[in-house]
Amino acid sequence: MLRELTLILVFGTISGGILSLLALGFTLIYGVSRILNLAHGSLYMIGAYMLYVFTSIFVPIFTSFLGSSFPNLDLVAAIFAALAAIGFTGGVGAILYIATIHPIIGDEIATMVSTVTSALIIQQIILIIFGSTFYPASIPIQGSSLILGVTVGNKALVALSASLILFGFVALFVNKSKIGKAMKALSQDREAAMLMGVNTTKLFLLAMAISAMLAATAGILEVTALTGTAAAWMWLHPLASSFAIVILGGLGSIKGSLIGSFIIAYSETVVKILVGGAITPVVPLVVMMVILLIRSKGLFGKRVEMED
Amino acid sequence: MIKSYITRGFSSFVAYVFDVPSRLLAFLCLLLLLLLPLVIKGYTAHPYYLRILTGANILAIFAASWDLLVGRTGQISLGHALFYGVGAYTSLILATRYNLPPWVTIPFALLLGVLVALLIGLPCTRVKGPYLALVTMTFPLIMYTIVRSSLPKIFHGELGIRLPFKKALFPFLHIIQQRTAEYYLSLAILFISAVILYKVASSKTGIVFISILDDEVSSKACGINVTKYKLLSFAISGLFGTLAGCLQGYLIRIASPPMFLLTVSFIPIVVTYFGGMGTIYGPIVGTYVYAMLDNFFFDVYFPQLLKWGGIEASTVLGYLELLVFSLIVLIIVLKWPRGIARLVTDKLEDLAEARDLDERGPRIWKRYKTKGQ
Repeated sequence: MLRELTLILVFGTISGGILSLLALGFTLIYGVSRILNLAHGSLYMIGAYMLYVFTSIFVPIFTSFLGSSFPNLDLVAAIFAALAAIGFTGGVGAILYIATIHPIIGDEIATMVSTVTSALIIQQIILIIFGSTFYPASIPIQGSSLILGVTVGNKALVALSASLILFGFVALFVNKSKIGKAMKALSQDREAAMLMGVNTTKLFLLAMAISAMLAATAGILEVTALTGTAAAWMWLHPLASSFAIVILGGLGSIKGSLIGSFIIAYSETVVKILVGGAITPVVPLVVMMVILLIRSKGLFGKRVEMED
Repeated sequence: MIKSYITRGFSSFVAYVFDVPSRLLAFLCLLLLLLLPLVIKGYTAHPYYLRILTGANILAIFAASWDLLVGRTGQISLGHALFYGVGAYTSLILATRYNLPPWVTIPFALLLGVLVALLIGLPCTRVKGPYLALVTMTFPLIMYTIVRSSLPKIFHGELGIRLPFKKALFPFLHIIQQRTAEYYLSLAILFISAVILYKVASSKTGIVFISILDDEVSSKACGINVTKYKLLSFAISGLFGTLAGCLQGYLIRIASPPMFLLTVSFIPIVVTYFGGMGTIYGPIVGTYVYAMLDNFFFDVYFPQLLKWGGIEASTVLGYLELLVFSLIVLIIVLKWPRGIARLVTDKLEDLAEARDLDERGPRIWKRYKTKGQ
């Protein structure tokens, strides 16, 4: 029993940390621009695939420049590949915003339809380019360490700390910097913010790019720490979990998304370890529904304003 | 005596139809649908086409019921597949396990559908907007897992339930006649439900629905019991969604777990965007556009187009189909957010108005024009 408990604690924490990045991106774009971005899972998937693509581009280049005797050449190449993949996905997010969301901004249902169709388009493009097989994508960090009597790979620990640091950094950016304050102002009252000279389109674009980059980072860390492969159907489950987290914590609340992601991750891990994998996808949804019925705005959410 | 009744009835019918151009258009569409089986009789794949058209009729009922809930009342539901699946599963379980005839199973399924709708509608008293959308989305996903992985004796797991040919609605007919009969049955039910939905939407209750969509707080301030009307719209919508599910069970003769998937919930949304939100006739037109695109264009013409372009790979072809289809949906949503059907009817109404104004005299016409500018 104790062993199960420690397993739940350790693996729940790791997956909670990664999920928090995913949910942060989702809640950021909703909070700033009221866009329910159903293509968020696809951006996560693009991150994982691009890690594979850029790694296979960078490894030969780095070998030819530095020589094959350079220490940790794979690791260096993979880290650069990860950075390139994150940047690429940010660009994809910006293009998605300009092409599919900007023309219909303000119409909630139309935004849902257009983002879900973009998710399908991205899935089909990836199927056409890569096919339906699994691709190995991972940052090669060696070794493992013993935590609470459980052997955990070092890459999972690196992923956890990286995600927590990045989360703190983005939260600081939103709360302290001038652009972040403008984003907050937009989320509180769009018209007043516009009167104060906030350029909404520019900020929405920026928020979308940041949210896409966060999703890509979550995807890269997930394949590095937990699964190790990228597949064309990996976007649906993270999308459902980020829904659940964000609803649980309250749409648009950063603190809520951190706490919500840990609640979801622990409950998922409990079910996965004690019951079995088949019903795991339902767990976040059930948790979310129960919480919503008890408290309709999530744990930390503000009132959802109706159309004004 | 009888003759005079007939002539009077006929003349009032003609007056009713020709009064408003969009009514005439609807009548012409109905005539076309009635004559369609005769038109496609010459093709060898005739039963297959009939089955596609039957499926389109069923989907049209489903989409119209979604439109009443979302387009009229503004309760965003992303989980309408729940009703579809509940209808199909209930009617088929009762039919295959307990050997009950359709006139028992279908009312029972409808009753269950309304109960489920009220059960789901209850959270809507607390939850609003995007929260409601996400809550409704979860129910079919939970049902999907239940149906797939529990109680294999009742739900038959991944395979789903098939209705044996003997228990189908018209087992005594030859296949082509049977398909034709099924087509006409589904068309009749589509027509009746569309009329009922349209009448509800344009009745006093429908006006209350629109007021809730426009401004919930103000409607409450006007003394409207908002919760009651929201539950009512859920119940009506659930009733017709379940009816579509029952028809799927009896006419397509299968109920399987994928009926609960998110893609099924998104079909009415896409189709309603094709046709026009909040119109009831929009989703029906949209469903036909969707069915033609999905079945005829992609199964018949698209491979030929690709062959001319020099592509013959079979797996990539399947992927390309969904890609092009999603692109078309995206372009329609971005370009005509008010829908295709509404575009046509708006044009027609404008023309009619212009004609009336012309008849009434140049003065009003001029005023209308300057006002319009």
